[in-house]
Parts: sequence; C-alpha cells; structure tokens
Amino acid sequence: MQHEEKKLTLIINELLTLLLLNGAEEIDVNIKRKGDASEITMIHRQCKYDAKFIEKMKYNLNTQRQSEVEGYYWQLVGEDDSSNELHLVGAMIDTAEVDMKQNDLHIFLVRKK
Amino acid sequence: MGFSITSEKDLSRVKKLFILLSIPVLFLVFGIGAGIASKDFTDILSGLVDINLSPTILITDFIKIGGVEATFINVAIVGLINIYFMFKYHLKINGVLIAAFFTVLGFSFFGKNIYNIFPIYLGGYLYTKYQKISFKDIIVVIMFGTALAPMISEISFSGILHPAAAVSIAIITGIFIGFVIVPLSSHMLRFHDGYNLYNIGFTSGIIGTVLTSILRSFGITVQPVHIISEQNHSIIVVIVIIILIELLFLGLIINRRAILDLPQIFSYKGRLVTDFTHLVGYGVTFINMSLIGFLSLAYVLLIGGIVNGPVLAGIFTVIGFGAFGKHLKNSIPIVVGVIVTAMFFGYELNSTGIIISVLFSTTLAPIAGNYGAIVGFFAGVFHMILVTNVGVIHGGINLYNNGFSGGLVAGLLIPVVDAFRKE
Repeated sequence: MQHEEKKLTLIINELLTLLLLNGAEEIDVNIKRKGDASEITMIHRQCKYDAKFIEKMKYNLNTQRQSEVEGYYWQLVGEDDSSNELHLVGAMIDTAEVDMKQNDLHIFLVRKK
Repeated sequence: MGFSITSEKDLSRVKKLFILLSIPVLFLVFGIGAGIASKDFTDILSGLVDINLSPTILITDFIKIGGVEATFINVAIVGLINIYFMFKYHLKINGVLIAAFFTVLGFSFFGKNIYNIFPIYLGGYLYTKYQKISFKDIIVVIMFGTALAPMISEISFSGILHPAAAVSIAIITGIFIGFVIVPLSSHMLRFHDGYNLYNIGFTSGIIGTVLTSILRSFGITVQPVHIISEQNHSIIVVIVIIILIELLFLGLIINRRAILDLPQIFSYKGRLVTDFTHLVGYGVTFINMSLIGFLSLAYVLLIGGIVNGPVLAGIFTVIGFGAFGKHLKNSIPIVVGVIVTAMFFGYELNSTGIIISVLFSTTLAPIAGNYGAIVGFFAGVFHMILVTNVGVIHGGINLYNNGFSGGLVAGLLIPVVDAFRKE
C-alpha cells in the first residue's frame, strides 16, 4: 500500500483532533507495527464521555474497510478542524475497539497493509 | 445522530446492486421498446454509431446526435458495464459509489459512450498493475474520471489528424488520463479541502487545460460546440419520474420511518466524505435522493426548460450525490445564489446552459452546510460568475465544467472566510 506511514499519521491526527476538541488534557498514543499490521492505541486520561458518544464512535470506526474510499479520499483525513472524518478513518482500518475503562477512554485500532 | 439505525431492514449487497441495476435495465427496455414501436431498428443502430463517432465536446447532446432511443441504449450499456465492475470486484454499495454510478449514467446522455470511456478504464487498470494494487481500489476514481472522455472523441473524430493516427493518439491519450487521474484527483482534494463535491471535475479541468494547451501549441484549436436538443420528450420525463418513485418506495420499504428520520440528514454538513448510506441508512438516503431529484425536475419544468441530455446529466448527478453530501438545507442557498446572479446579469433562466449551472452548482453544498446560508449564497454567486468563463480554458473537453469552477470557488473562498472567523 502506498503512503502507508502517512496514512497512519493522518488516522492518528484525526483522532487526536477529535479528543482535543473534546477538551483532552492528557492523551497517550502508542503505535506497534507487526509485519503487515499496525496497531494504534490511544488513551484519553481522566475524561467523561456518555454512552451515546462511545456508541457513535464505535459505529463510525467499524464502518468496514473500503479500499476504494481510502484510495481516493485518504488525504482528507485529519485535514479539517471539526474532525468529522471518523467514518473515513473507519474505511481505512480493519478493526476498532472503543471502551471506557474507569475514567479513561481507550481506543484500539488495527490496520493491515 | 444516526449511529444506530434500528428501524432499517438489512439489505444484502446483491439486493443493493439489483436496485442500481434496475436503472440501466429500465433504459434498455424503454430504448428497445420505443425503437421497435416507433421506427426501424436500423435507425437506432445508426444513432448509436453516430453517438460513438461524435467528438462529444461540451455541449454535445446525444439525444440530438442519435435520437432518444439510441441515447437510452447508450446509457444502458455504460451503466451495465459499471454494474459489472461493481459486481466483479465486490464493491460495497456506499454513498460514493451510488454518486459515481448516477453521475456516469447522467453523462451518458451527453459526453460519455463506450468508445471514449474504454481507454480511461484501461489506463486505470494499467496504473493498478504498475502500482501492484487492486483495480477495486481505484474504480470510483475511474468512474468519475471519465469526465475527460471527450478528449478521446475529439482527437479521434474532429478531423484534425489522419483517421488511423488520430484513433491511436486518442487511445494513448485516454490511457494516459486513466493512469494519472488517480494520484492527481487525490492530491487535488487538498486545494478545496473537500468543499467541492465534484473533485474530479476540478482535477479534470486542470488536466484538460494542460492537454488543450498542448493541442493549441500545435495549432490545433479545440472549440466548444452547442449541439442541444430543443424539444421535450415526454418519455424522458416519465422515466425520470419512475426512477424517483422507485427510490421513494424503496426508501419506505427499507425503513418505514424514513420520512420521519429525514430531518437527521440536515444535520450533516456534506463535506467530503459524507456517506449518507452509513450515517443515516439506505432508507433515508433513498428518500433524500428522490426528494432532491423531484425538486430538480420540477424546477426545470416550471421555468419552461427542456429536459435534454445535459439537463438529465444535471438531474442524475444531483440524485446520485443525494447519497453523498447533498440535501435541501445545504443545496438551496447555493442554488439561490446562482439564480439571483443569472437574473442580475440578464441570462435566460430556462436556457440549457443556465439550468445545468443551477443544478451542478450544488457541488458547493458543503460550503453552505459548514459556513451557513449567507456564505453559501455568495458561493453560488461566485460559481455563476466563474462557470460561464472557465470552459474556454479547457476548450470544453472536461464534462464536469461546474466541478472545475466549484473547485476554484471553494479553494479561494474557504481560506478567505476562515480569515474573517474568530476563535
């Protein structure tokens, strides 16, 4: 896949923008690259999100990998101030888990090449 | 906000594909049926040949060139080819694919035919082989990318070169377009940040300007033409209404609450990528497509316009993008801006050129969606001013001239509006 590293950066950019717009003060980002797969873990510490927000995030991130959408529109990810591109991120990843653990929001994404 | 579409029936991919398939089949049945009923079938075949051998430069209405029946069959053939690719490559029937499909169908009434789209598909296929990626990854771009199909027809059939050389050069040019359109179109998104829905129109305008300039450097002039059907055919209006009613009923069958849920769609700004099939479901999406399609058709008929090839392209494109960013709330301010400007400059609102500018101006719907009705109105004003002037730059070889103009308007207007915004 072309521009793999840049695409990973933009995915993280989009999610970071979303969390910062929601008032994040502390965010941990971890990337692990194992063979053909890249795993992104993002933890927003000490936050409050309601169940509706979490469900919406899960729904948009689990839109299903769509290579034809990614192939055309990937350069728009993370480019807008309003962070409305979550379902585009969803089209660029294979699996997504979103959970509140105590007071921390955990986002775990897997993207295969 | 549409994250849980519990009231919607689950449709398989094949069923969704059948819904799309019904449209070219409808045109095929009407084309063949009307041909058998009204005239010698050889007239239809010669009409199809005329369509495929015309230079197709803006504006060439296939209804004028080959007749209604042959045009219907051309639409059906182009539609069926694209359905085949969707089936073969197991594409998800999402908003962008629906938009691309309806756009290609619409432009098969003026500009696209089997001869001039083929080299662009081949160029795209060669690009995927070169990059070692699947053709599936780029098929949407290639479907939209046939905007430059007239370049192939113009080189082939305008008489500027010896016929054998002309066809060879034309096909090589088409392959080149298909090869470069994917990286270019993706890159061009950043110019307007996704606020111009017809991004390939902007990309094609840039490529078309370069290619036309090369031709002009060799002393070859590419001049826009004006071959337009000036007669209304009731069968065309009937078919469009059948398609819109089909979408309406399908929307209600898929989601009985679709009309009640429709206001949800107005909360979306429409900026690329806004896939309504994902965000609000297929039921609401089909109702939205039907609604803006009916209003587009009603507008054309009420002002006394002709529903000819270019106008059909406009209506079908609006219907298609009803699945991918356009709704009444973000489209109306743009349209009002275009109409007011056209009236201010004394243009006839019922002329085909102005009607298609009004319909296609909704490419800028995301501006009204994001920045409000007033900024949307002014986007429409600037679009009207630009679209009547930019066609000459590419000589009419870019079918999505409004997408070219829309890209320029969005790329210039958005940073200026942002400059006046405060934190």
